[in-house]
Amino acid sequence: MSTSEEINALLVSRFGTDPAAIRPEVPLRQLSLDSLALEELRLLIEDRLDIDLDDIVLSSRDTLGHLVAAVHSKAGA
Amino acid sequence: MTAPVPRTRGSADRAAGPVAARRGAGPFAAAVTGIGLVTAAGTGAAAAWHGVSDLATAPSVHLVDELAGLPCDFMYTVTDTDPKAVLGVAAQRLMDRFSQLAVIAAREAVADAGLDPSVWDSGRVAVVIGSAHGGLPFYDEQHTTLTERGARRVSPKLAPLTVVNGAASSVAMDLGVHGPSLAVSTACSSGTVAIGTAHQMLRAGACDIVVAGGAESVRSRLLIASACQMRAVSTRRDDPAAACRPFDSHRDGFVVGEGAGLLVLERPEHARARGATVRAHVTGYGASSDAHSAVAPDPDGLGVERALRTALADADLGPDDIGHVNAHGTSTVANDLIEATMLHRVLGEHPLVTSTKAMTGHTLGAAGGIEAALTVLALQHQLVPPTANLDAPDPAIPVDVVSKEARSGRFDCAVKTSLGFGGHNAALVLTRA
Repeated sequence: MSTSEEINALLVSRFGTDPAAIRPEVPLRQLSLDSLALEELRLLIEDRLDIDLDDIVLSSRDTLGHLVAAVHSKAGA
Repeated sequence: MTAPVPRTRGSADRAAGPVAARRGAGPFAAAVTGIGLVTAAGTGAAAAWHGVSDLATAPSVHLVDELAGLPCDFMYTVTDTDPKAVLGVAAQRLMDRFSQLAVIAAREAVADAGLDPSVWDSGRVAVVIGSAHGGLPFYDEQHTTLTERGARRVSPKLAPLTVVNGAASSVAMDLGVHGPSLAVSTACSSGTVAIGTAHQMLRAGACDIVVAGGAESVRSRLLIASACQMRAVSTRRDDPAAACRPFDSHRDGFVVGEGAGLLVLERPEHARARGATVRAHVTGYGASSDAHSAVAPDPDGLGVERALRTALADADLGPDDIGHVNAHGTSTVANDLIEATMLHRVLGEHPLVTSTKAMTGHTLGAAGGIEAALTVLALQHQLVPPTANLDAPDPAIPVDVVSKEARSGRFDCAVKTSLGFGGHNAALVLTRA
């Protein structure tokens, strides 16, 4: 599964996100990911992909594409 | 009428002190227009009532993985509803299980009351929900995470999920309530105190509608391990379904249960104006503190007597008026004898007494909410559910405890009593509509 697919799967299974709403250009807040949810998602991604995202700073104004790119950069490091 | 028995050492004064002061205020009848129940005996008011009154099915007592290896590794669990399926992933992820059960019960109660949250005056609606331990299971889980995996693996949701007000805030958010919402935490009397607090808020005119009761789910290895050390819970591991046996000679402690029980209470004129169907009224409330022990009830039951006498005075009723008592009846040696002796002293022999905990488990902070709802249903059905597992009644218990099968009767008024660790006592008087 790609990084993007892993994150999308977490959004659907753990946050109840509508799969149809998941698009790279969508701001995270439109997916109901507030600051608390982003921290929760960070932990889940770290566990799922066995990576460290501690120095990644994202807000709910960033898009899903930004998030995937940031995770991808760490996953590939 | 059975006259109260005179006692020595000033005990009568301690037990009856506030009654005279309350008289003259006039009773206030809060209308009960809705009920919501999520219990091990059934989810939904109809299913729960059938579960406790019919005894057709065995108590829903199950071994719990989190408790494996403990002297008490079983509890009453809710098995007929899945919060994730009912509430959806997005909503349930920000609630620990006690809050999830509360929201399910609240939705039922509000629908039962015929209320539509999309059109009600939300600033005049309140939520008061009691819980003893809040999100303790998540706290327990996250402490294990901290010790085994380190600080960076701890969930950021610890505070919002574990606070005792989680159920109240979750219900307020789910229903769109903008009036006051609060938690009451007085250990095992929390649900009863929550309903009493709601009664007082309505009487004071602070709101028109209150969703009130209790919620609890303590699938916590930490808590149950401690309860075992305290020797408060039954260790009848060879027959868990028969372990909770209130008022029985062979009782050896309570069995924990999970659940939620909520009432919709309204100012009577508000219920009348919208033509609501009224199930019953809450007409009296009393509370007291033992000031005696962190865990043991006052050995003479004076604290709970004080709460009961205050509630009777609040309702302007006497002992003869009370036909039914849904007792605290935890199945501990101390509670059942002290409570029953107190009930006999205050009310006499005529009320039909029951403890429904042998079918629901001891749901701690939820107990008062669940049992008040069951008392409302008893008033409506004119039927007292039996105390399950009461095979060998303790001869020292002086009251008429209903056992084996439900007993019908004619009673217009009933009492719900609760006692909590720390000496928090509460009593409600409920009357037929």
